[in-house]
Amino acid sequence: MKITPAEVTALSLSIKVALFSLVIMFPPGLLIGWLLAKRTFPGKSFLNTLVMCPLVLPPIVSGYLLLILLGKHGVIGGFIYETFGIEIVFSQLAVIIAVSIISFPLLVRGIVTGMESVPLELENAARTLGASPLKVFWTITFPLAHRGIIGGTILGFSKSLGEFGATIMVAGNIPGKTQTVALAIFSAVHLGEDASVYRLVFISTLVAFIALWLTERFTLR
Amino acid sequence: MADNPKIRLNFRKSLGNFTLRVNCTLETKVSAFLGVSGSGKSTLLNCVSGTLTPDEGEIAFGDEILYASAAGINLPPEKRRFGYVFQEGYLFPHLTVAQNIRYGQPNPRKSSDAIGVLEISELLQRYPKELSGGQRQRVAIARALAMEPRMLLMDEPLAALDSALKDRIIPYLHHVKEVFEIPILYITHTFSEAMALADEAFLIADGEIMANGEPHRLLTAPSAMPIAQMTGVENILFLPVTDSNKARGLTALEIGSQSLIIPYIDVEVGEVVPVAIRAEDIIIALEPDISVSARNILPGKIQYLDVRSERTWLSILVEWHHLAVKITHEARDQLQLKEGSEVYCVMKASAINILWD
Repeated sequence: MKITPAEVTALSLSIKVALFSLVIMFPPGLLIGWLLAKRTFPGKSFLNTLVMCPLVLPPIVSGYLLLILLGKHGVIGGFIYETFGIEIVFSQLAVIIAVSIISFPLLVRGIVTGMESVPLELENAARTLGASPLKVFWTITFPLAHRGIIGGTILGFSKSLGEFGATIMVAGNIPGKTQTVALAIFSAVHLGEDASVYRLVFISTLVAFIALWLTERFTLR
Repeated sequence: MADNPKIRLNFRKSLGNFTLRVNCTLETKVSAFLGVSGSGKSTLLNCVSGTLTPDEGEIAFGDEILYASAAGINLPPEKRRFGYVFQEGYLFPHLTVAQNIRYGQPNPRKSSDAIGVLEISELLQRYPKELSGGQRQRVAIARALAMEPRMLLMDEPLAALDSALKDRIIPYLHHVKEVFEIPILYITHTFSEAMALADEAFLIADGEIMANGEPHRLLTAPSAMPIAQMTGVENILFLPVTDSNKARGLTALEIGSQSLIIPYIDVEVGEVVPVAIRAEDIIIALEPDISVSARNILPGKIQYLDVRSERTWLSILVEWHHLAVKITHEARDQLQLKEGSEVYCVMKASAINILWD
């Protein structure tokens, strides 16, 4: 199996994007996961729905909405273009944004499940022992929720690796720039490059399988 | 205890359609709140610990105000420094016993005191899941003590344990009471624990304090009968040993001018031991000279008779001890029992349990 440089570029972009997205989304994921699992506040179900939306929306729809928001004439994209002169759409940044939005619900879901499994009584016990809410979070809630957090992280990461619909809408399919593995497979199928399709499909399947298997190992025990 | 800080509780807390209303001052070393589940006693403890916020009122520890709705004061639990021992222990499962005890950034001297008093030095490297129920509870008590608390809050610390284990933990609690010079607020649904540990007991039902006072007086008084009916009652007596005969397997205790025979225990003559007799294990007879195998036939006088539930409850004065006795309505009718009747309390030696030794 000989992998071409173009395929390597697509693969490394996918991995780079997935890692970036994870690093960016993990802190807000932790905060929102904690809010949803442990707090009651007005607008909680709205926040939950908003975060989970990309899970049920067709990715192509999420991508289109992002395109409208981030485009040169969009609310966010327009502002950024005016202020910094940066165009977001059809850039690697757009890939990262698209992938982050789509994988975020999986990350948050895992974190919420993990944190909900930590009994409030344990956290209260820690409070009575003199721990501030922040100390309780880092020494009790976070370590005891680790299975759910790892599970959500792995699922979110693998979702990021293979994201297609939103990416192609908002970042296009530019080889060497915004073409991730999923988009490379799409192009290869269209161009009839069967060998390339097989290689990329094999690698994608392998990665997905390993990720799921790791999730099972960490969460179901 | 000369300088026990007074703990002032005066607050209201509603949860759903249940309302807890408390207005009392705790002045003794160990105060017990006694009530059935749903009476509001855990809610009370959570309000004191700060894990639950009352709707209005005031909670003060000595001169320090912990909660005052009018002034907008509400000290968070981590600032109150009250050690809390939960019914389920709630040890941190991912930390060893030693790490659990260290969690509250304890005073090293206090932690070693706590480890010593509760005899858990062998367990320090284990994880909570490797401990038995009794060990877990001892570690939970040590963890609460190690942070050098100003007060100890105990929410049914023995309820999850079987009765044999309970009897083994109670001596530890006594030891804690002696060694650590702090007030203890103890919540329980069993008379025997309240009697065994508390200096003052509060009866709580439907979110209100019904009565309070010295446990021995309070818990055998007619006012305690309705609660006794719900919780199941054991009579607890503290009696001196007058004779102990290993060969015959019996020990005699002094109850006024009478003797109470119990299974043999290895204690010195003159030592006072606490014994428990369940209310349903006492048989009532009208004549003393009946032929029965039971070793104890003690004369007494019915002081109070309560017929409101499916059993008749008697409060019988034997010497100066009040005994709660539970019999059927049929038995009461047949023996024609009423207040003031002279009766005999018949008890098997084996029905009398030593609470600890």
